[in-house]
Amino acid sequence: MAVDLSVRIGSLVLKNPVLTASGTFGYGTEYSEYFDPSLLGGIVTKTITLEPRAGNPMPRIAETPAGMLNSIGLANVGVEKYITEKLPLLEGLDTAVIANVAGNTAEEYGVLVRRLSGLRRVDAFEINISCPNVRKDGLAFGMDAEATRDVVRCVRSETDKTVIVKLTPNVTDIVAIARAAVEAGADALSLINTVLGMAVDIETRRPLLARVTGGLSGPAIKPIALARLYQVRQSLDVPLIGIGGIMTAGDALEFFFTGATAVEVGTLNFIDPLGSVSILSGLVRYCEGRGISSFSSIIGTLVLES
Amino acid sequence: MKTRIASCPIISQESITDRIQRLVLHCPEIAGAAKPGQFVHVRVHPSWDPLLRRPFSVHAADRKNGSIALLYRVIGKGTAFLRSLGNGASVNLMGPLGNGFRLDQSRSRALVMAGGLGSAPAFFLIDRLLEYGRPVIFMWGTRSAEEIFGLDRFRVAGVEIHLATDDGSLGRAGTVTGLLEAFLRESKSLKNLEGFVCGPEPMLAAVQALVAGKPLRVQACLEERMACGTGVCQGCAVRMQSGLYRMVCSDGPVFPIEEVDFGG
Ligand SMILES: Cc1cc2nc3c(=O)[nH]c(=O)nc-3n(C[C@H](O)[C@H](O)[C@H](O)COP(=O)(O)OP(=O)(O)OC[C@H]3O[C@@H](n4cnc5c(N)ncnc54)[C@H](O)[C@@H]3O)c2cc1C
Ligand SMILES: Cc1cc2nc3c(=O)[nH]c(=O)nc-3n(C[C@H](O)[C@H](O)[C@H](O)COP(=O)(O)O)c2cc1C
Ligand code: FES
Repeated sequence: MAVDLSVRIGSLVLKNPVLTASGTFGYGTEYSEYFDPSLLGGIVTKTITLEPRAGNPMPRIAETPAGMLNSIGLANVGVEKYITEKLPLLEGLDTAVIANVAGNTAEEYGVLVRRLSGLRRVDAFEINISCPNVRKDGLAFGMDAEATRDVVRCVRSETDKTVIVKLTPNVTDIVAIARAAVEAGADALSLINTVLGMAVDIETRRPLLARVTGGLSGPAIKPIALARLYQVRQSLDVPLIGIGGIMTAGDALEFFFTGATAVEVGTLNFIDPLGSVSILSGLVRYCEGRGISSFSSIIGTLVLES
Repeated sequence: MKTRIASCPIISQESITDRIQRLVLHCPEIAGAAKPGQFVHVRVHPSWDPLLRRPFSVHAADRKNGSIALLYRVIGKGTAFLRSLGNGASVNLMGPLGNGFRLDQSRSRALVMAGGLGSAPAFFLIDRLLEYGRPVIFMWGTRSAEEIFGLDRFRVAGVEIHLATDDGSLGRAGTVTGLLEAFLRESKSLKNLEGFVCGPEPMLAAVQALVAGKPLRVQACLEERMACGTGVCQGCAVRMQSGLYRMVCSDGPVFPIEEVDFGG
């Protein structure tokens, strides 16, 4: 029995619901030596900014129980090199390419999306609003409903392609931010970005990261991600992409049952470059074993006591 | 160059000291492909804690038997678990990763310097230098005499060996940089000499300062905390004198020593 794995996110049809998360899969071909990225439903590329960024001082990463902290600092090649050097590598791949972008101001997000929207190889956008807004004392756009609204408006006016807004969990009321994004024109939401975290070396009394705090990812954040997904699912009716600590097909199923239409696999790529395709085959086995012919029929089937 | 991800059976594991282990694994493809200075990324435990792979230099590669050896110090939970594994257990390896030392056709003398567990890549390097028929000088500094081992085959092969220990229990009291200082003082000419250094960062910085301005090319093998080991996560950055960051895993781990900014 063939399982129909396709899912729809806005106007974007994915051939299957397993994507790789921004910042954990490079520009899409770095792991090609291990498997064919065309197996994936889609690739979300590393966050791109207008200018190239060198990134933060080191140490940039630290391990914590079942998790890792990073403060990479959005190191990336900048939008021009992305267009001339990175996107061409993805020509011919049978998978969706989702360009992830970030700006210092709401207008910069618009400029980036305008620059990329006409390119055939960009199928959709993921808007990273977890980065500092230079006009608001560096508070992340995604921590403020008004700033989120501004960014999404700027982006929406520049493209007809699917716009996915990536939410940060580091907020009091994620539903308020999610609603602002949808009202301003987001087609879908992805969640979560990393959780603010910190670790200290007790011998040296120094923080393990040069920047002191960073973003926590990996299995440690999966329960947080699921709860955030659940909160947003209860209040809004847009496609959601689940992210956070997904290491197995079972983890992914938790997100699908809770209401995710697709998932992004992040930190797992570092530990097992083949992890995303293993998750995909696990999902196929799950469907086959239960006689499920259409994958999308399992989405949002969480059983709640009424 | 093809990188592998493979589950590799343990052929043997022995304790060199109470903290230093030598682990031999069966992995013919990695053994065949590995070059000195390259590393393998080891999934020490099948659970998610510890989460990340651990990088270890290839310490020896036996193409005939299809085995590689790792030499590691037990310092935390990953290496403690690795030590508990016995023969027959398997360990998942990714590798060989990184760019090894550049070994050109030069016939010049090789000056190999290792601090502590810098001997892990250094031994493999010396093996290959000897295969190429190059004269080798080996300077090795450790904490104490008990951490000095495995030199017999190098002595037989004619390697000129200089030792130093922090506690003075063997060789010169002090560090390997003390050995280098003495060597530079006593050498009439540095012509036809090429340097290689592996060890902790303070030692690399000291070697950089000692050779600055001298006509001696030195390649240094660096360490930095890693996640992916393949250039994807941008986590293992090291600052260069140019002000740019390079990735230890994919641009290195071997760099021309004068290019690295050890202050940063
Ligand atoms: C390219 C390279 C080659 C290496 N080769 C060797 C070798 O041949 N023999 C050897 O004994 N050690 C080597 N190391 C260091 C080795 O990776 C660490 O000692 C090991 O990861 C410690 O793991 P742990 O779980 O016991 O320690 P923990 O302290 O519990 O580890 C916590 C985290 O910090 C990282 N970490 C801790 N110490 C280091 C370190 N010195 N360098 C980089 N990351 C570190 C770990 O990988 C892990 O992510 C190498 C490191 C690099 C980058
Ligand atoms: C090293 C690293 C770099 C990341 N870089 C980005 C980035 O550039 N843009 C972004 O939107 N998210 C970035 N993320 C966040 C991931 O895309 C993902 O949201 C997060 O890691 C949670 O998923 P995980 O637990 O599966 O890793 C990064 C995460 C890691 C670990
Ligand atoms: S460890 Fe990821 S880039 Fe080097």
